[in-house]
Amino acid sequence: MPLLEVSSISKSFGGNQAVKGLSFTVESGEILGLIGPNGAGKTTAFNMIAGYFPPDSGEIRFKGENLAGLRPWDISHRKIARTFQLSKPFGDLTVLENVMVGGFHNQGSRSAARRKAEEVLAFVGMSDRMGTEAQNLTVVDRKRLEMARCLATEPELLLLDEVVAGATPAEAVAMMEVIGRIRQSGVTIVMVEHVMRVVMGLSHRVLVLHHGETIAVGDPQAVSRDPVVLKAYLGARYAHA
Amino acid sequence: MATESGGRHRVVTATAAIGVLLLAAPLAVTDEYHLHVLIATLYFAYMASAWNIVCGYTGQLSLGHSALSGIGGYVSTLLLINAGLSPWIGMVAGGVCATAVGVLVGWPCFRLRGPYFALTTIAFAEILRIWTENTEEVFGIELRGAQGLSIPLKGHAPALFQFDGKVPYYCIILAMVAALMAIAWWMERSRMGFYLKAIRADQDAAEALGVHSTRYLLSAMAVSSFLTALGGSFYAQYYRYINPERNMGLDFSIELALMGIVGGQGTVVGPILGAFLLTPAGEITRATLGGKFPGLHLAIYGLVLILAMLFLPKGLIQPLRGLLDRRPTVSGAAAKSTQA
Repeated sequence: MPLLEVSSISKSFGGNQAVKGLSFTVESGEILGLIGPNGAGKTTAFNMIAGYFPPDSGEIRFKGENLAGLRPWDISHRKIARTFQLSKPFGDLTVLENVMVGGFHNQGSRSAARRKAEEVLAFVGMSDRMGTEAQNLTVVDRKRLEMARCLATEPELLLLDEVVAGATPAEAVAMMEVIGRIRQSGVTIVMVEHVMRVVMGLSHRVLVLHHGETIAVGDPQAVSRDPVVLKAYLGARYAHA
Repeated sequence: MATESGGRHRVVTATAAIGVLLLAAPLAVTDEYHLHVLIATLYFAYMASAWNIVCGYTGQLSLGHSALSGIGGYVSTLLLINAGLSPWIGMVAGGVCATAVGVLVGWPCFRLRGPYFALTTIAFAEILRIWTENTEEVFGIELRGAQGLSIPLKGHAPALFQFDGKVPYYCIILAMVAALMAIAWWMERSRMGFYLKAIRADQDAAEALGVHSTRYLLSAMAVSSFLTALGGSFYAQYYRYINPERNMGLDFSIELALMGIVGGQGTVVGPILGAFLLTPAGEITRATLGGKFPGLHLAIYGLVLILAMLFLPKGLIQPLRGLLDRRPTVSGAAAKSTQA
């Protein structure tokens, strides 16, 4: 049984069909890359999985359980965590306090939540910024902070929405390394990403969305050579890659 | 965070010192009027702190807390007048009623985003005030409309929350403030406090981390409503008189909000600071200029609010905290925390 099973979900906002009959599965332990041009419906798909709004039709199952009607906090308690495309730090709290909010998910006491938070911050390499107010972080550190907050809830499935966007090449490499280690720790990952080097380097499988529909899915190398994909998204620059 | 411990020691020491000073105050302040100003200040400190539990920590603005205070005052007073029930018990009954009302008002609003909560609280408090002002009797219970209710005098009767002189009232309200500070301090450090602050900063992000936002907002509202109603009962017993305008009026709600905002919302000490600044300022202007310029104290409140927003958007607590904390540089904090 796949960990996550998305069966022909659709969503429209007014006359705009954001996601059209999208289906895919995520196997336990893999990294699935979700790519597609702006407006392809990637973030909308995330929002439906994470319970921010219900699909108009279709079904989402996690470990066999239908997620219909569950709210974001319910989804979180089913061990699915997500980051936001525009990161949402708790600005007036310190980095440590931000992650402790996630830490309280499974820890009752303040000291246990704090231990969890410190452990996760060490894992993502932010121990040196624990006392900084989150609003004073750089864009990239905010994304790392969001990942840390998610990890503090001890998820089984992590939905990453463009965590490398805005990073310098060196920062991107560091972020890829962290994502790799998260997967090694046993967390399954679905990542939306525009930076091709990251998606191709990390993903076991890639799914290409275009106008709310799947146009290709499979091995990153195969997908990157698919003429339909090249035409829709990657552009001529990648045609010879 | 490791840096907090030094600052925290200083905060605890400073709070304890002020507490001892306030405990000893009745020995030094023998003048009835000055003692009254102290009681009024502590009463406002208590009410602003109760308001702060829901509004300061969650960022939801209530401008209807006066209704909750009015419910507390009226319930305990009506139970005393009509059933002879001691206000010590009546105030708990008032607290329970106010909690039920607070949760009912909050429940639909907290499911929405935007200014609905603030608008609903104003509307609700005003409806309750106007209804009370115009109701002489309901189900055979005398409310006496705008005239208000007087507490029957029983002389020195501690069991009925009545005392000779002001000192016992002073001690009671001081204990109430201390208890409320302890509750706020404990809450701030608990899961609930972290969740409320997360909701205040970003509700979507908080929900993604498993925070059932409606439930936590309602819990905060329930606690705040209960505590506010206890304050309303205290007010009724201390003044031995309540009326809709003073106990349920919009002015009162705004004053509480102002004290919280000026002092520093979402902190234990902030609302108390605000009350200690604004209540005496209000009393002095009312006492010296009140006759000539009615409402001047409100103008002064407005001015203080504008200045506070301009120069101290996080409240008076901000510069004070800097003084007490002397937070070292970030690198210093990092060095300490990695050792920990």
